[in-house]
Amino acid sequence: MPAYILKRLAALIPLLLLVSVVVFLLLRAAQGDPAMAYLRLSRIPPTDEALATARRMLELDLPLWQQYVRWLARAVTGDFGNSYVTGRPVLGEVLHYLPATLQLAGAALLLTLAVSVPLGVGAALHRDRPLDNAARALSFTSVSLPNFWLGFLLVWLFAVKLGWLPALGRGGLEHMVLPAVTLSLMSMGINTRLIRTSLLENMHARHIMYARARGISERGVVWRHMFKNSLIPVLTSLGMHVGELLGGAVIVETVFAWPGVGRYAVSAVYNRDYPILQCFMLLMTAIFVLCNLAVDILYAWADPRIRLGEDRA
Amino acid sequence: MPTRSPSVAAPFPRRWLRALLLPMLAVLLLAGGLAAPLAAHAADTPADTLRYSWPSNVGELNPHKYSPNQMFAQGMVYEPLVKYARGGAIEPWLAESWTVSPDGKVYTFTLRKGVTFSDGTPFDSKAVRMNLETVLANRASHDWLELVAQIDKVETPDARTVRLVLKNAYYPTLQELALIRPVRFLSPSAFPASGNTAEGIKAPIGTGPWKLVETRKGEYDVLERNDAYWGKKPAIKRIVVRVIPDPNTRLVALQAGELDLVFGGGGHGGGQISLEAFDALKKGGKYATYLSPPQASRVIALNSKSGPTADIAVRKAILHAINKDAMVKGIFLNAEARADTLFPPTSPYCDLKLPPYAHDVAKAEALLDEAGWKRTAPKGPRMKDGKPLTVDLCFVGNDALQKAIAEFLQSELARVGMQANLIGEEEDAIGERQKNGTFGMVFGDTWGAPYDPHSFVSGMRVPTHADYQAQIGLPMKADIDARIGKVLLSTDETTRQNLYRDILTTLHDQAVYLPLTYQTSMVVHTARVDGVHFGAMDTEIPFEDMRLK
Repeated sequence: MPAYILKRLAALIPLLLLVSVVVFLLLRAAQGDPAMAYLRLSRIPPTDEALATARRMLELDLPLWQQYVRWLARAVTGDFGNSYVTGRPVLGEVLHYLPATLQLAGAALLLTLAVSVPLGVGAALHRDRPLDNAARALSFTSVSLPNFWLGFLLVWLFAVKLGWLPALGRGGLEHMVLPAVTLSLMSMGINTRLIRTSLLENMHARHIMYARARGISERGVVWRHMFKNSLIPVLTSLGMHVGELLGGAVIVETVFAWPGVGRYAVSAVYNRDYPILQCFMLLMTAIFVLCNLAVDILYAWADPRIRLGEDRA
Repeated sequence: MPTRSPSVAAPFPRRWLRALLLPMLAVLLLAGGLAAPLAAHAADTPADTLRYSWPSNVGELNPHKYSPNQMFAQGMVYEPLVKYARGGAIEPWLAESWTVSPDGKVYTFTLRKGVTFSDGTPFDSKAVRMNLETVLANRASHDWLELVAQIDKVETPDARTVRLVLKNAYYPTLQELALIRPVRFLSPSAFPASGNTAEGIKAPIGTGPWKLVETRKGEYDVLERNDAYWGKKPAIKRIVVRVIPDPNTRLVALQAGELDLVFGGGGHGGGQISLEAFDALKKGGKYATYLSPPQASRVIALNSKSGPTADIAVRKAILHAINKDAMVKGIFLNAEARADTLFPPTSPYCDLKLPPYAHDVAKAEALLDEAGWKRTAPKGPRMKDGKPLTVDLCFVGNDALQKAIAEFLQSELARVGMQANLIGEEEDAIGERQKNGTFGMVFGDTWGAPYDPHSFVSGMRVPTHADYQAQIGLPMKADIDARIGKVLLSTDETTRQNLYRDILTTLHDQAVYLPLTYQTSMVVHTARVDGVHFGAMDTEIPFEDMRLK
């Protein structure tokens, strides 16, 4: 197992390198000029001289490969460059905003599980009954609603009309409710359906019948035998959900003025702040890969037949 | 596919239902119900605090640096030697008086008595000198500003006198000293050991009416009244500036009672709120809403050298063909005013009462007919010597506003038989066209106070500017450039006004610009706030005159 984990971690390095090249090139292939964006933010009239000065300052006057090599040489030492806009080291900035994002994504993940597990199990056990239909309706709507739109709708209802919840910002628990609900709704819908399907498949497996025949209580049958065996696909999707939640946080944070790394990245997109975006993408890649690794490890726990890192002949 | 499901579920429906629904209910209650007792959040703002918002933090507030320092906040903490007032008048500020030598090269300022920085350090000629020297030491980063290039040396004969010696006479010296940056003053106690503020400052300490007291990155900044301020003290104790990048979020924050004030540039995209939102709030009647006087112009430059627009009759026809009022109503939702001249008449030297090119389709048609561009069919396109009447209208493709205007102009021009080819390209490509003159019509904005008109006309002499390229076909271009050179060096007010009159009248008569609208700032505030008005420069927000009820 430890060898397997090490191997997976080592595989991260070439992946990150590849991502860095792709992101680097994609950013520069996109429209827009960071020097122009810098002048706009600084409210300096964009004369030719001012543009040239800004390009020199931001090292944009160098050939592309030189820019990349310089960036990479510093990045391996942990220096991801300075933000074009704030002039401060990017890594520090990104790490400063990361906890707020993790907090929001974590809350959304908990909310997803808290709702989708009972709902999915309930829907499976009451197939084609009102509960199942209600769960289906919820899943269908939640995956169809774009979360930025839903976010504004919720704010309008709970903050503007009813005045129950704050409209934006980070603070106490009450600040987390609307963004976490907005963020988790889609994962909730998907997860509910997935658990339902998976359980229904398992429901008629032979071992369930045998378990019943052995006189095990219904509760034991459902949770120990049905549910645990249905976990594998759910775990797989959980890995995806983490990515989805972190990705979704980019938009949801902007809508709710949540001071997380996603909103920070959105501002960076507007300002063509390449160094921030490069660092952000690498960080997200790393988090995504690590989450999938964690899911793989959980597989082994959920299904002892899976042996990680053993080569099969 | 198994088919026996009902019999499996049947034995335990009710118990399970309860067991499943309880945790769900708990979560929902947690989500919704928990909020009700906490609803006091909006009301917990102290009575002496004004809540405003901005897309980013205000920055470390280094008076000599640009982004990420936000100008409105730099303007709250730091003050200029002289102040730019509405209409371009220059008023005493940290300098209570000044004289200019007859050759226009030496400016001598007498500093105001009894001014201190917010940390108690006296404001004297030594402080002025330290600040000017660090600005001059970083000339390259200020090379967009002519004044910085023109300052030769700074002399301080005594504690209250500062002398600026220029390389050449440069009349906009006072206007540029009034800018929010870079020539404003940091307390000598806050300078870094090296004396070079480009390396950072110890603390944002100025002489202004406000002090920056707290910054939470990504969340908010807090500015407090400087109780030791030398001038009129603000009525409000504290201003919280929340970080809200999204204009729609700002709108709901205002409606949810979490903001008191929206103040700043509007428009499609990057503004404080969208034009649609402003319009809706105005109609809703719940908030006070108003627009600033004109601040800068949106214009389209017409190419006088190549294509059909090389003919003045065609340029005039274009100006007459456009129904700007319809554009103001349909695209700008009446949030910006129709522009008839290159600069708003409120800009210094620009109130020239030039006769506008009124919307007059018949006149436009007559002009085109006379110029030999004849309709091939009634309502059909116009031709001359077998060539159709077409003009390239170039705009930044992903700029929604420019695109909307371009499409509107296209339909207006089609009405008089002219075909506009819409060329939407990325910003760099449009910039390239502006530089080498490969456009028929192209968008541009003037820079607003205090740059208009002097900085803008100065740029007309630079070959890589769209304005130069647009004007190069004019028979009197050399003469225009000579006058621009003269006006910047002029030391006499009447001469200067006359030169501007000549320059701007010629450009107007030659119809090289199609003025669209005058840009404005928007204000929306709740009933809590009073005394809101606009500064002379669109980059300043006069918080010091606001009151809370």
